[in-house]
Amino acid sequence: MNSPLFVLTLGLVATAILFPGCSTPKNVNSVELAVPVAQRATVADKSIITDSSLNQKARIIGVNQSTGAGGLLKVQVEVLNTTSSVQSFSYRWEWFDETGTIIETSMTTAVTRQIEGKESIFITGIAPKTTAKDFRLKLIEKLR
Amino acid sequence: MTPFMKTTLPTFVGVSALALVLAGCAGPEVKHVDSDSSRTVLGVDKINMQDWNMAADDMIKKLLDEVINQDKLQSADGPGKPSVMAISRVVNSTSEQFDNDMLLKRIRIALLQTGKVVVDITAGLGGPEDPLAEEAKRANAFAGGKKLRRPDYTLSGKILEDRSRAGNIREANYFFQLSLASTDGLAIWEAEKRITKQGKKSSVGF
Repeated sequence: MNSPLFVLTLGLVATAILFPGCSTPKNVNSVELAVPVAQRATVADKSIITDSSLNQKARIIGVNQSTGAGGLLKVQVEVLNTTSSVQSFSYRWEWFDETGTIIETSMTTAVTRQIEGKESIFITGIAPKTTAKDFRLKLIEKLR
Repeated sequence: MTPFMKTTLPTFVGVSALALVLAGCAGPEVKHVDSDSSRTVLGVDKINMQDWNMAADDMIKKLLDEVINQDKLQSADGPGKPSVMAISRVVNSTSEQFDNDMLLKRIRIALLQTGKVVVDITAGLGGPEDPLAEEAKRANAFAGGKKLRRPDYTLSGKILEDRSRAGNIREANYFFQLSLASTDGLAIWEAEKRITKQGKKSSVGF
């Protein structure tokens, strides 16, 4: 038997056997009511996309907001991973008063989230003060 | 000048100049990074800055959403007045030594910023946080013939860890737990933030 050809064949067979064994679940299936009971108060949003790769991994597909009895603005953003593999990204909120001035807050951490393939998750943010009337959500690809 | 010097000298000078330029471009080994970003060092051996920040921010978010924004807090001073909160015991059940203010200070700042909560720094386990303020408070109460203002709420908690290993992958789980109790001893709010880290060695970011 031709030795190199035998080794090559053996290698290909081993690869074919091993790879399915190493694979992990990629996409997420989900179920929900066809007509949801809850009605989201969606708001018009404006996205500025500077990283199209990140936009595939964490695409904003909906924004809704509400104000609680305590007067704090609460924002919920739905993010979809359009790829078929698990992805990581970080996000950070910024809050502004009615004059557009940024509100300094101790809640400034860039939070890292993992999102499975084709999965959508919700990111919620709550304003630090009742004077916060506007918001901005920043998303950034995971670092290393 | 010999032919040898004519060819070797310019090469020597060129290489030396390049070495100097490269040494100048190397820059310092230390740089500032944003403390709130994911560029800070992250390892599985300890609770890192990112973990403290994420745990504190999550607790703040839950407190604001589930307590402040639901208008659940009451004050002995009357409606519309800020509630008084005291910091009780936060038990460290991890293998690390740390100051609880790594978690609590950010929470206190955020609560104060809402204008609906103030922290009593004269009430605390193991003595007042600010002895002078405590002395002044007692003197004022005595002079005015008033009772000492007691906190409306106390904040307590626990930090735990759980470690495991599979092959050369190490995993660290940290549990940050907080409870807010009213003066009748009932926990009106509780929250837990779990942070899980996996890795082989310290690295930057996830």
